[in-house]
Amino acid sequence: MSTPAHTPGGSPLPVIPHGVGNPSGTPVVAPIRSAPYKDGGNSSLGTFGVKSGLAQMLKGGVIMDVVNAEQARIAEEAGACAVMALERVPADIRAQGGVARMSDPKMIKEIVAAVTIPVMAKVRIGHFVEAQILQAIGIDYIDESEVLTPADEEHHINKQAFKVPFVCGAKNLGEALRRISEGAAFIRTKGEAGTGNVVEAVRHQRAVMSEIRRASVMSEEELYAYAKDIQAPFHLLKETARLKRLPVVNFAAGGVATPADAALMMQLGCDGVFVGSGVFHSGDPAKRARAIVQAVTHYNNPKLLAEVSEDLGEAMVGLTIDDNLKGGRLASRGW
Amino acid sequence: MQQGEDLQQDVHIGILALQGAFAEHQVMLKKVPSKRKIVIILVRTQDDLASCNALIIPGGESTTIALLARLAGILEPLREFAKKKPIWGTCAGAILLASAIENPKKGGQELLSGMSVTVARNGWGSQVVESFEAPLEVEGLRESERPFHGIFIRAPVVTAIHTTPSDPPIVVISRISTSLLPSSQTIVSPDEDDTDPRDPRTIVALRQGKHLLTSFHPELTKDNRFHEYFVTECVFPSLLS
Repeated sequence: MSTPAHTPGGSPLPVIPHGVGNPSGTPVVAPIRSAPYKDGGNSSLGTFGVKSGLAQMLKGGVIMDVVNAEQARIAEEAGACAVMALERVPADIRAQGGVARMSDPKMIKEIVAAVTIPVMAKVRIGHFVEAQILQAIGIDYIDESEVLTPADEEHHINKQAFKVPFVCGAKNLGEALRRISEGAAFIRTKGEAGTGNVVEAVRHQRAVMSEIRRASVMSEEELYAYAKDIQAPFHLLKETARLKRLPVVNFAAGGVATPADAALMMQLGCDGVFVGSGVFHSGDPAKRARAIVQAVTHYNNPKLLAEVSEDLGEAMVGLTIDDNLKGGRLASRGW
Repeated sequence: MQQGEDLQQDVHIGILALQGAFAEHQVMLKKVPSKRKIVIILVRTQDDLASCNALIIPGGESTTIALLARLAGILEPLREFAKKKPIWGTCAGAILLASAIENPKKGGQELLSGMSVTVARNGWGSQVVESFEAPLEVEGLRESERPFHGIFIRAPVVTAIHTTPSDPPIVVISRISTSLLPSSQTIVSPDEDDTDPRDPRTIVALRQGKHLLTSFHPELTKDNRFHEYFVTECVFPSLLS
């Protein structure tokens, strides 16, 4: 299926049309993976159940990149369901170059103190000590992100070993399932961060959905071969095929700049949206942020999308994605 | 208006679908066995809400849900709804149902004031150490001897109950053990509240009139007994009155 199974807005919605993400129209949710009481006590912390559970609470929401407490407050007021604390937004990392690292813990703590919504922060791929530091200061979610300069070109962090949950980027199904097997409780498309160009995010989301559809009609023998083919753990591929969706929450990220971009990604089957440079590199951040939040809720209502898209001021300057892209293709980082 | 006594009539249960885990509630509600047909409505507009006999407010981010409700023009209709029809709030939904909160976002946030309780947002703290799973004993649930699996995610904590004589009484249906209370909280009141079985902070599920409040997430389990409880104990009786 190549066109979104799109339902015109304004009609009553007995079920959520999920675009190509879910042609049947019935909701498919990530399964419950709680494994309670493993530690022998009568409660358990840091289980996969609560890690993926927080991601489920973020669904239908927008997570915004912020670089200081003031921006974090603007994001919260605009209805962000979480913020991502980082030193420079991806567009600036592109423009300025150099090695991009985890942010100063002091800055992250200021952001945590400024808002009441969950705060996420980025670590370099493979840099498990940065992750230990973020866990120690009580961050709610860690993004092991290709936007920062990788610290390890072979290994990702063993995310199972942490109590704090992780989100990771993926370009295709194999990559998403590899990350989940390492312990990621939340997946996002990689897109191409800091470009304001949604084309790569669309490519990655379509790739994931199309591979899931292919897997969903395979026999067990074919699934074994396909698992080898896309380098994914068989048991996760099998579960994905059965569910007809990723077994964890899946957001769009990398290049979302307008309410229409956000709604496009939702209709393509994403559960929510990350917005990076798109908000604070635009003319009127507060207004644009709020419009994107509304667009994610009402993604199937073109009339409302038109209303919220009106008069938002200047959008961020977009970059075309080709071999001359300043800062290079970030999506190729991660393995 | 729906005809309450007519057993053939479908029951319309809305799920507030602005942000959060509404699809999870939808999946669970579909599995609830019922003599009357349950029609599930995802509520995003005033018209959606108007057709509902009852409403579930899911977990999510309470500040986001409140803002989206205001922007969609359904905040006041929701407050009116709360005066007449049953609402079940889970986690963020519980915050919205409360009449007062501690630790709101700066500048305050909007509530529906459907229940006479005060809750502390993020009462357990952040995700890392304060999101947890625990078995719960719940009064009135089908097979109540079998514990219900409570999943608490940055959960709100009930800190005070303030019913006036004209309010319907509050019925607590589940508490957690004081040993599970967040350590940061027990340090605040080391001696008195610690052992008090009526410490409001141990309350994780309660009813007031038609409404139901849970600080945890029944929609994240595979156990639909809480959804069944809401339908049979809150929704059906309200149709008869």
